[in-house]
Amino acid sequence: MVQKHQDDGGGKKITLKINDNEYSMVIEPHWTLREVIHDKLGLTGTKEMCDKGACGSCTVIMDGRPILSCMTLAIECEGRKIETVENLEVVGNPLVEAYADNHAMQCGYCTPGFVMTAKALLDRNPDPAVEQIKDALEGNICRCGTYPAHIDAVLDAAKRLEGGKK
Amino acid sequence: MKPFKHYDVNTLDEAVSALQNFAGKAKIIAGGTDIVGMFKDEVFAERPEALINIKTIPNLDYIKEEDGMLKIGPLALLEDIAHDELIKGKYTALAEAARRTASPHIREMGTISGNICQQCRCWYFRSPNNRFNCIRKGGEDCYAEEGENRYHSIFGNVKDCLAVNPSDTAPALIALGAKVKTSKRVLEIADFYEKEEPKKTTVLDDDEIVVEIQVPQPAANSKSKFEKFAIRKSIDFPIVNCASQVEMDGDTVKSARVCLNAVFANPYVAQKAAEYVVGKTLDEETVTAAADLALQDAKPLTKNAYKITIAKSLIKKTLLACK
Ligand SMILES: Cc1cc2nc3c(=O)[nH]c(=O)nc-3n(C[C@@H](O)[C@@H](O)[C@H](O)COP(=O)(O)OP(=O)(O)OC[C@H]3O[C@@H](n4cnc5c(N)ncnc54)[C@H](O)[C@@H]3O)c2cc1C
Ligand code: SF4
Ligand code: FES
Ligand code: FES
Repeated sequence: MVQKHQDDGGGKKITLKINDNEYSMVIEPHWTLREVIHDKLGLTGTKEMCDKGACGSCTVIMDGRPILSCMTLAIECEGRKIETVENLEVVGNPLVEAYADNHAMQCGYCTPGFVMTAKALLDRNPDPAVEQIKDALEGNICRCGTYPAHIDAVLDAAKRLEGGKK
Repeated sequence: MKPFKHYDVNTLDEAVSALQNFAGKAKIIAGGTDIVGMFKDEVFAERPEALINIKTIPNLDYIKEEDGMLKIGPLALLEDIAHDELIKGKYTALAEAARRTASPHIREMGTISGNICQQCRCWYFRSPNNRFNCIRKGGEDCYAEEGENRYHSIFGNVKDCLAVNPSDTAPALIALGAKVKTSKRVLEIADFYEKEEPKKTTVLDDDEIVVEIQVPQPAANSKSKFEKFAIRKSIDFPIVNCASQVEMDGDTVKSARVCLNAVFANPYVAQKAAEYVVGKTLDEETVTAAADLALQDAKPLTKNAYKITIAKSLIKKTLLACK
């Protein structure tokens, strides 16, 4: 790839900060962040369900906000701090065990999106009330209908967080 | 998605000149929650060649009171507007509208300028690969007239297009008497929407950008309220929404503004309802009469007369909440 001196509107070499890694690569304007994370970088935890911004399954955390990677252009993410579900296991976030122990999944396809949305909530508010959990998870759809279990799992994770296991 | 060009700009001037370079063939991308969907589905009859990213312009997401008004930067996120204490307290209808827009994730991405500029959601218009090249796209027919029109206009057409404006924040901003500052002029938000030509949503020129939303400080004795009817509490677009602002003088109404949306091509100012309540106390009888008057001019289509009942109910609810 020839080094470009002027922005010609095409693909660009940029650095994406995902979890604790930096990935320098040429990104085309029409690639979504979901495509780059899942298809190009092989971080397959981030799932695509609707590809329309309407289900939350592709949620990642960007600069502290839960956002939809399917509606985000990857070329616009240079320098942003991106966190995917893979990071939770690495940092030992209690949501992983809380989700397993509370059986908050059936097929599991929507789970990474729920978990990342819950992570963004707990990062902002480590002791959420039930209503606040419901509000935060309002944009995540589960075809298997596991909704009530998510509230138990997030409350449980919040309890474990207080135990100092961050 | 099929390829397109993409430019990051550092200033509003750069954004304007980038739009000028493409002479109508480029669009702004703010949060992207609307425009990315349109590119994915190949909705356009003529696909824009380029997107101009304004998120690289610093400090456009402010929310502040200054010069006796609330000033909101074009990149202010809906989630931040929904939770802003100043807006919740004084400009209540706007905070409520932002809070009821889409889903938490879309509010974390979606901007106020994108929200007021978004395109209609008519399912023929949005059908992938430009399957229905309807009037709004420069074609000959409106497929909603005899087709599935349960979510379409109840106040008639604009050049035979029956689509509705889907924005949740627009009616709140209209009820609050807001202005839109662009790179060229300052417009009353009620005049920001295109009245004659369905091919355009707003009156913005091809090289014109929204640079600020300005909301006058409400009078001391006033309140505002937003209500939305949708199938699900979250994610769904409004079937009908409504915002009212009322200034009281003791027990009676001094002035009022009422605006419905998702009922016509543009946000629909319910002038008759607002005029009727002036000088009266806000009781059940008054608001019922006001709502009936406002919907007197409704012309429902084959499948959407139910929207009249909803619109009346939302007018009543929002007015009573302003007591
Ligand atoms: C699943 C789903 C559900 C939704 N539900 C709702 C809902 O309930 N209520 C609702 O109101 N909306 C809803 N939306 C629409 C959502 O896209 C908007 O609410 C959002 O605010 C758009 O903002 P954005 O910044 O993402 O816009 P973008 O997609 O970036 O832009 C939208 C349009 O505005 C233009 N534009 C943006 N900024 C400017 C500017 N500064 N100057 C000139 N033009 C500009 C763009 O060119 C584009 O045409 C929903 C969307 C999805 C995908
Ligand atoms: S309502 Fe408007 S946008 Fe929908 S099919 Fe008819 S002309 Fe097209
Ligand atoms: S896949 Fe992104 S919201 Fe559904
Ligand atoms: S567990 Fe199957 S979709 Fe949620």
